[in-house]
Amino acid sequence: MTTALSSRVARFPFPFATDSYRYSTNVEPARRPVTTAAGGWGAGVLDVDDDYAAELAERRAVLAADPTRCQELPHMRVASWDALTTLLPELADTLPGTTSLDRVGDRWTWRNDRLGTARTFTVGDDDSLPEGPLAFLGSQIQDDVVLLDQREGALWADAGLVTFAADWSMGFDVGMRFLEVHGPVPRVHEAGVVQRAEQFLMRLQPGEEYRRTNWTMTVDRRLDTSTETYADWGRDRRLVVDDPALPDRLHLRVEVQHLIRLGVSNAVCFLVRTHVLSLRELATVPEWRQRFAAVLAELPDDMADYKGLTRFRGAAVDWLTSR
Amino acid sequence: MGAEHTSVPRWGTERPAPDPSARALLLVGFGARGCAITTAWAADVPAGRAVEVLAADDADEAVLAVLTARIAGARVGWRLMLAGPEADVLAARAVALRAGVLDAEIRCAVTSTERKRVYCPHCRTTTATTAPVAGETPCDGCGRRLHVYAHVSRRAGAYLGFMADAEEVA
Amino acid sequence: MTATLPARTAARTGVLVLAVAAVADDVPGIRTLTLRRSEGGPLPAYPAGSHLVMDCGDRRNAYSLTGDGSPAEEYRVSVLLCPDGDGGSAFVHRLAVGDVVTASRPRSAFAPVSTARHHLLVAGGIGITPMLSHARAAVRWKRSFELLYGHRPGAGAHLDELRDLCGDRLAAYGSTPEMLAAVRAALADRPLGTHVYVCGPAPLIAFVEETAAELGWPAERVHAERFSAADLDPGEPFTARLARSGTRVPVPSGTSLLSALEEAGVAVPNLCRQGVCGECRVPVRSGRPLHRDLYLSEAERAAGDAVMCCVSRSVDDELELDL
Repeated sequence: MTTALSSRVARFPFPFATDSYRYSTNVEPARRPVTTAAGGWGAGVLDVDDDYAAELAERRAVLAADPTRCQELPHMRVASWDALTTLLPELADTLPGTTSLDRVGDRWTWRNDRLGTARTFTVGDDDSLPEGPLAFLGSQIQDDVVLLDQREGALWADAGLVTFAADWSMGFDVGMRFLEVHGPVPRVHEAGVVQRAEQFLMRLQPGEEYRRTNWTMTVDRRLDTSTETYADWGRDRRLVVDDPALPDRLHLRVEVQHLIRLGVSNAVCFLVRTHVLSLRELATVPEWRQRFAAVLAELPDDMADYKGLTRFRGAAVDWLTSR
Repeated sequence: MGAEHTSVPRWGTERPAPDPSARALLLVGFGARGCAITTAWAADVPAGRAVEVLAADDADEAVLAVLTARIAGARVGWRLMLAGPEADVLAARAVALRAGVLDAEIRCAVTSTERKRVYCPHCRTTTATTAPVAGETPCDGCGRRLHVYAHVSRRAGAYLGFMADAEEVA
Repeated sequence: MTATLPARTAARTGVLVLAVAAVADDVPGIRTLTLRRSEGGPLPAYPAGSHLVMDCGDRRNAYSLTGDGSPAEEYRVSVLLCPDGDGGSAFVHRLAVGDVVTASRPRSAFAPVSTARHHLLVAGGIGITPMLSHARAAVRWKRSFELLYGHRPGAGAHLDELRDLCGDRLAAYGSTPEMLAAVRAALADRPLGTHVYVCGPAPLIAFVEETAAELGWPAERVHAERFSAADLDPGEPFTARLARSGTRVPVPSGTSLLSALEEAGVAVPNLCRQGVCGECRVPVRSGRPLHRDLYLSEAERAAGDAVMCCVSRSVDDELELDL
């Protein structure tokens, strides 16, 4: 237990470089290792950790209960194949001992001993992968996936497999422009952040890979905080405030988002890998405890409200600063 | 900060005119006020263009089926113009967009925004309502009180509603 | 600002070192090169209609890739000898098997639109090269398409393979009036959902654009291939004067102001190195910036008191920075 816990802390992508947080187009090239006060992260695009099998089992359960979490408009099938054929080799490189990929022309054989997966399929042949390339990809990587099509001078969120959404709905947002998806976010439009992000993404050239982080807070280690299941988890935001277990239940939730221009389809592949760390785990790193307390205390009300922190942030700051 | 920053459509205060480069047009009017607009549009279309005018009380299945059939047979150069209450214009626009018509090929005139269609992500039912944005409406499907959110799906032609009291302790 | 640490290492340069594996001169004046990595191995995938920017002696020229874009070990380009050109094509026509050239990774500016119901491809002369790529990708991914190809009699590059590839979807014309009549007839009667793509001599592109507009095609359905000079422009040399230290930093053509500052030991926070993220903004005291970024607003550009040093340069010989 101690080992698992410290590994989670050591690999955690703590996102704050200063004592205050505002939205920005904080993109940087992928694959650059970042050193943190507790360890580091970021050397690769895919990050497989101790929760790999458990999180993929959770994704299967979410999808079984609600298939609308996987969306693919008909014109996105090439992009889905492109995402799969780009990321399976990446996963094979990430897990060299326990996965293998054999390619004979378009005939691919994938074996993943960590999950007990063995599949042979033909790239581009939909019948060879009945659940579809996007769903199959989502069964092998912890990241949520959104595929953005580029046309009419804009990006369109036309496909996605999102089971671990931080308070949004892929099923509702599918088919929207990138700017529309972000419509409800406060401040970012006045600051031009989303427009700049879209311009940046539209200029990505084939194979280019960037990343950014985003964050919020979640009660318990619940990854599925989608709009669909709000009725199941919304109340915890209030209940946690007076719960003596608050430091164990309240988590900093960080998304490491990768942005990859897929070569064949020209789609932008948006990977969202979610990491959660409880306040108690976070506080084992003194720099993080102080910094996160400062960020939370300073965060403007509208941003805290949009992130859903309003009910408990005072209690969180109190606990972080009382130690 | 205008329409391009949000999914909520901002209908211009000026009524659009027929696109002079169109070779064929379909004009669809909903309700008396919408049909008055399509009549005016038809008079403004330059000579030599093929014009068809449809009139309907609202965006029901019958008129949307006709729209779908017309799109399937249309050639490049065709334009769609929609006039009427927002709920009907959004529903018809959604059909057109799903069939591959571009924003650049659609012009809309909205006569009122009172009625809305609100999508419930909790039970996937769409409810007709006159609640304002940031107001509440009960869901026809699951009965939950839905907060009408400032977020609109172009493909569904509906506002997002989410459970208004999910954070209340019963 | 947030999260990510300023990046200090140079952005990926993306240079490919390619050996000429085969040379073919099937049509007089048009040379087809087959290129492989010098060290072997797969080359980056690309969307149909992409190009390479190749170093041709002291020139850099953009040449369309003619494959379907799937990951492969070879690239092919076909280059028309232009005796009155700038020397790039003559350089290519002097290449022999075994010669090594350097080129950018594939760059996409002419990709097929994924939502199109039908693709109308129009090529004139050597403008066939990106259309060959489009046609191959359309066949691979089962997209509906047709190709209208106008060429001089006896000088139709790739004609035999196009006939094999396209069958009756190809219409080739040896006379300009016939070609233009066929283009007009196609533009006059194609299903809604069709997109038209044109590459060829400037008069052909103008004919397609004007005829399409006349026949009611919205600009969003009309796509023309023009190589962008902005991609290639290394800029004029200038000098950056650092007001606080009095240091003068020369910025040669082809080197960014940011790189020159870094090489001179001046640390400037930066992230994307593409003029988007806004991190590398540097205050300007005097001299007129040559803005090439996507970050600053028109008002900020007009004020001239800041420059995004990763992409922007100087109008004047000297730019004084508040550093």
